[in-house]
Amino acid sequence: MFKLLVMGLKIVLTPSTFLLIAAGTILGTVFGAMPGVSAAMAVALCLPFAYAMNPVVAIAFMSSVYCAAITGGGITAILFKIPGTPSNAPTTFDGYPMAQRGEAGKALGYSLIASAVGGQLAALAMALVTPQLANIGLKFGPSELFAVAFLGLSVLSYLDSDKMVKTLISGLLGLFLACVGMDPMLGVPRFTWGNSTLLSGIEMIPIMIGLFAVTEVLKETQDRSKLEALDTKSDGKMATVLPSFLELWKTKWTMLRSSTLGTIVGILPGAGATIASFLSYAIEKKVGKNAKDLGTGIPDGIVASECANNAATAGSMVPLLSLGIPGGNAAAIMLTALVVKGVQLGPILMKTQPRYMAAVFGSMFLTNIIMVIVSMLIAKIFAKILGVPYYILGPVIIMLATIGSYALANNTGDVVLMATAGIIGYAFVKLGYNPAALVLGLVLGQMCESNFRRAYTLTNGNMKAVFARPITAVIVLICVAMLLTPLFKSLVGKKKA
Amino acid sequence: MDILFSGALLIFSVYCFILVGTTSPAPTPTELGAAFWPRIILFFLIVLTIVNLYNILKNAKQEKKDAKALFADLNLKAFVRSKLFVGMILVAAMALLYSKIGFIPVSFLFLFSYGLLIGAKQKGKLVLFSLVITAIIYVLFQGALKIMLARGIGPFRSFALFTESLLMF
Repeated sequence: MFKLLVMGLKIVLTPSTFLLIAAGTILGTVFGAMPGVSAAMAVALCLPFAYAMNPVVAIAFMSSVYCAAITGGGITAILFKIPGTPSNAPTTFDGYPMAQRGEAGKALGYSLIASAVGGQLAALAMALVTPQLANIGLKFGPSELFAVAFLGLSVLSYLDSDKMVKTLISGLLGLFLACVGMDPMLGVPRFTWGNSTLLSGIEMIPIMIGLFAVTEVLKETQDRSKLEALDTKSDGKMATVLPSFLELWKTKWTMLRSSTLGTIVGILPGAGATIASFLSYAIEKKVGKNAKDLGTGIPDGIVASECANNAATAGSMVPLLSLGIPGGNAAAIMLTALVVKGVQLGPILMKTQPRYMAAVFGSMFLTNIIMVIVSMLIAKIFAKILGVPYYILGPVIIMLATIGSYALANNTGDVVLMATAGIIGYAFVKLGYNPAALVLGLVLGQMCESNFRRAYTLTNGNMKAVFARPITAVIVLICVAMLLTPLFKSLVGKKKA
Repeated sequence: MDILFSGALLIFSVYCFILVGTTSPAPTPTELGAAFWPRIILFFLIVLTIVNLYNILKNAKQEKKDAKALFADLNLKAFVRSKLFVGMILVAAMALLYSKIGFIPVSFLFLFSYGLLIGAKQKGKLVLFSLVITAIIYVLFQGALKIMLARGIGPFRSFALFTESLLMF
């Protein structure tokens, strides 16, 4: 097991490979920090370089780009409330309020260190127990995947316990939006009203960008005092003081929890970094030491999200290399590059050519160290933008959000969707509904429905059998307990009163 | 405002609940059907919206608000005159014009008009900034990163193709 790690480090510490990984880390961080360039797009943009490399170096290089892009996405999420990649969306919940309080440097520090820790722990876990992890991943069929998605949904009641009804309505609206388009099993159009654009469903990214970035600019357009405060407070100087060891130590359990969860979710085919970060944030809201303050701008929220999404990037390499199953879009692009190079991925690869897996471990290990330095420098440059007057910065944020939405599929319908989400989102937030819950519903909706229906079909219509599988049963029981706890607490509270 | 939103949401949810049932094929013994999942969601949405409406009315009763007070925060006149409304119109116009006139004109016009809206004092400077920022974003995304930006139609498309030919990347 350690042999694999040593082999990986030997590969990546070769001067030429080391330089390529460093370059990949810089490229990945810059691309990730650009709204509209997703982690998958960042990997795709670097693909031409990878074609010229030998396959082992190519996979190490692309892993570094992927890993750094996810981390880079946290920079804009914290500074401008635009998640660079969808998996950075939960980072905005606490990162942006911290930046608004003038603690952008600290927020970025937490984000980078948490990303590095998540990535390192996941890489270590991969190096030590990849075969076992791959076997666990294989045990997750549709019913287990449904249970995982349901676990994410069951924490909706904890997102804002003061406005539980409105938060649940928001989550259900997200789930409803995920139903728009072609039905995943039968291909029947639902809620499209004859509109061909709606047939492909409602894209998550324009909604997310609209709800977070456009709504925020509209809020600041209305709130003059806030605008003035922002202009005077952030003059482009950002304290890049990293959190102290003691401060980081306080988040150790959050880091451990989120890294473990991120690695496991990353391994599950079809899940990925976005679901990992949302799930981790939601679980932190339930079990975290500072759960009550989550969303007000505390480090735990940033750590939960960033640790999990980076751990998931490492986790997604397990099914890719050991089973030949890409866990997400970025992994699929890497798979393409390796196949073009003549590499046959799958269970035999681990036995015949362990160098590939070793190179990925080594690359992730190295990237997560280089990344902290590179990202801090890039964050400093990005933070200069905070000193720009808001009458320039605000419209630029909306234009970048527009590019991000359009770049998804070169579809102007997505730009309209983003603008609509931003405008409706403003009213939504003003009325006390929860945009985070809506996004959570939208992210998990399709995974929940398609896996539940697939599980039902696989058991020949036996609903009992769907829930009788051990992993499913345990997770569903946890979900039920989580859903009933607030209800029980309120009943007990009423009796006491 | 909340009561209006909840009312509209309730009507919409009931409508969708009925609609999905009539437009989806019937389930089979081994397939739950296309309407199954949305109907579960809509059922809970209807129940919770009713609970929300009940809460709003209960709170209004406790605070001894009359029907007029329930809609007091709905001041259409003031809203239409607000910067927020103009901002919303600008965002909507930008999104709708994006496909028609393309990225370059939309970006310039939007940066300028929104900048004016939220407090830019020197128009000349703002024109310059809008031009420079549009150029930077265009060169970076369309040129260096090869990320497609909308070209628009008619003469705007010709203009976009011309500018693309000028890019050195």
